[in-house]
Order: sequence, then structure tokens, then C-alpha cells
Amino acid sequence: MKSMLRFRTAKSQRWVYRLLNGLAIAGSVLLCSLLLLPRLPGIELLGIVPNWLLIWVVAWSMKRPVWQGMLAGAVLGTIRDSLSAPHSHYPIHLLSLTLVGFLTARLQKQRYIQEDFISVALIVFAMNAIAESIGAVCNFWQGFREWEAVWRDYQRIVLTSSLLSSLWAPVLYYPLNRWWQYIHALEQSGGK
Amino acid sequence: MFSLRRWWERHGVPIVVTGLVLGGVWLLRHTQGSAIAEIYYWVSRPFQGEPQGVAIARLTSARVRELEQQLAEVQAQNDKLRQLLGYLEKQPQAIAAPVIGRSADSWWQQVTVGRGEADGVRVGAAVSGIGGLVGRVVQVTPHTSRVLLVSDPASRVGVAVSRSRDMGYIEGQGSLEARLQFFEKVPDVRPGDAIATSPVSRLYPAGLTVGRIKTLNKEKGAAPEAIVELTAPLESLEWVLIYPPRVAKESQNANALP
Repeated sequence: MKSMLRFRTAKSQRWVYRLLNGLAIAGSVLLCSLLLLPRLPGIELLGIVPNWLLIWVVAWSMKRPVWQGMLAGAVLGTIRDSLSAPHSHYPIHLLSLTLVGFLTARLQKQRYIQEDFISVALIVFAMNAIAESIGAVCNFWQGFREWEAVWRDYQRIVLTSSLLSSLWAPVLYYPLNRWWQYIHALEQSGGK
Repeated sequence: MFSLRRWWERHGVPIVVTGLVLGGVWLLRHTQGSAIAEIYYWVSRPFQGEPQGVAIARLTSARVRELEQQLAEVQAQNDKLRQLLGYLEKQPQAIAAPVIGRSADSWWQQVTVGRGEADGVRVGAAVSGIGGLVGRVVQVTPHTSRVLLVSDPASRVGVAVSRSRDMGYIEGQGSLEARLQFFEKVPDVRPGDAIATSPVSRLYPAGLTVGRIKTLNKEKGAAPEAIVELTAPLESLEWVLIYPPRVAKESQNANALP
């Protein structure tokens, strides 16, 4: 009886953790989506803001299986598509962020890269460059602009946004990573 | 059967949650992120600045008022003449709206403004600011609307050269300069000429200032091209005026008729 009771409390506790985790995930994604719209002084550079949703996808995919990284990329990419381009023919961000989720999860950081702020910033820089390149190619394919105009914009956008994203990446990565470590530890101890 | 239940107990919740997330996101995509725009409106509401009346008062400096009076005088004369001709159009009432957000993507040129369906804004409405034409409403939520700027590569606006009435259309280039393509083979145009929305445009009110001719390229292709400097300061917009769309009105009238 006693052991059963303990089992039930452990189970309900785990549910509370999961609910809290879900709220934290939804809240942080919402915050990232909202941050795309304003141009706050100090965050903006040449009218470009950090790619918050990409930073989130990288933070999420760092220690998760590939399918979870891709799923998060697809979900957040769709959110960004819905916010940015009603007249776009391609789901540009769906493609780019799914690829980012896939690549980040496949990186095997434990084996090759030490986990610290510098490496997170570097990964975000590289992933943002890849994502913006996909954006540029899709933009060219849509045929709204000539190649030279896309190329000129691409150089400006890719450098500024990668730089800003990698500089702001720790601000998002650090609390999220700490939170997921904390939840993981709690679930492990609660489950036993 | 038992193993299926075990399997469902283990994986059921993740599958249901994933399904819910995907469904929600699909819905968000379908409504073009209107839920996020609405939340953004309520979050940013305390920072949106002064109410509409004060903003309009600030927009209207003494010089503008003087010009407006002159214009009213000319308009009154114009109305009289039109009345004589037998057609007097009702001037649409503009809605002043604060710019609360910018484009969520560096590739597209859009702004989010803090007036929506509840304030009478409809998709297709033309938007102008200090300096001239700004763009067109492409999406509305109850309290916000998304404006596609004239500088966006997907934007096309029918325009006319104010001096010679030669017509063409401008395409955005992602900057404060747009490309004008003429319909005529040999347009009467020179650098410095003012460009305004075309009188035959169905999407925009006629005669809204758009920009000024910067350079001309008569060699290019079949129809000559010009670079137009847009007069509205698209990178530092704070307030805009939204005009009810002409097309909607016309189509409503068309529907009313048998």
C-alpha cells in the first residue's frame, strides 16, 4: 500500500514537472516570436534583429535526438513563416529551421566539441549562415528580384544576422539549458 | 492487445502532445500568425505612445495646416466643378495607426500597425505616412494589421509622372529606392520629376505622393526604366494613415446590383 502511494505521488510529481516544462517551452517560444517584431535599441543592427527562433532550435537540439530537433525546427519554422511572408511561395523557414534542427542534433557535441558559450555561439553563427543561404536561394527562385539584388542583400543580411544571433545566443541558451538540466535531474530523482 | 495498451501508455502522451503542437502550428500558419500578432499588440500596448488624437495633432504642424487650407480651397473648387460635371465622390475617412512592429524577416519589408479589423481596417487598404505612400494592408487581426511596404520586392504600385501624366508601375527593391517601369516607349520624364499614384489604379487612392525620379535608364529593354527615390521615411515610420480600399467599395456596390 505504502509503496503504491509513493508510486502514485511520484507519478503525479512527474506530471507536474512535465506541465511546468511544457509551459516553459511554450512561453520561451512565444517570447522568441514576439521579439522578432520590435526593433529594440541595442538588439537591432541595420534594421536586423537576432534570429531568436533559430537560437531556440539550436539550444533545443543540442542534447536531443535528431527527430526531436527536426520536429522543433519544423514547428518554429512554421511559426516564423506565418509571421513573415504571406505572399511567399515556399515555406522558407520551415525548410531552413528543420535542417538546422537536424544538423545541430547530428553534431555529436559530446564527442567533438566542448559545451560552452563559445561553441554555442559558433554553432549558432554557422547555422544562421546556412539558414539565411537557404532563404536567399528561395528568394531568388520566387523570381521577385534579380540575382544581383538578392546577392547584395544576402551579404548584408547574413553577416549582420549571424553576428547578432551568435552574440545573443547565450542569453537564451544559458537559462533554457539550465532549466532542462534541472527538470531532467528532478525527473530522474522523482522517478526512482 | 495488452502489448498495444502498454505501448500506448508509454508513447500515447508524446504522440498526443506532438499532434496538438503540429495542429496548433498549422492553424497559426493558416491564420498567418494572427494569434501572435494579437498577443504582441496587448504586450506592447503600454509602450505604444500617445492616443490617436494627440498623435494627429503632432502630425499636423503649422505649415501642414496652411497647406491643408490651401488644398481645401482648391478641393472645394474641384468638387464644385465635378458636381457640375455630375459626379461627386465621397472622400474616404483615413484611420491613424501607430507602427508597433517591423518585419519578422530581413528579406521582406513589412510593418505591423496597432489598428485592426475592430477599427475598420480591411485587407487591401492603402497606407500612407508623412512623405507619401507607405504600402498596403495584407493581413488584419482584430487589433493589428500587417502592411506590405512599397519597398518590398513583391509590391507593385501603378504610378504616374505628375508633370507629364505618363504612366508606369514601381517595384520595390528592399531599399528606399524603387524601380519604375514605364508603359510608354518614350516617356516624357526627367530626373527630379514627382511621382504619384496613378489615377487609374484600382488599389490605391489617386494622387498620393510616392517619390521623385533619381536616375533614368532609357537604354534598357523595350520599355525605359527609372530609379525612384521614395519620399516616405520607411525606415523610421511611427504613425501611418490607412485609407479604406477602393476595390472593396466598388465590389460591394457591384454585388448590391443584380
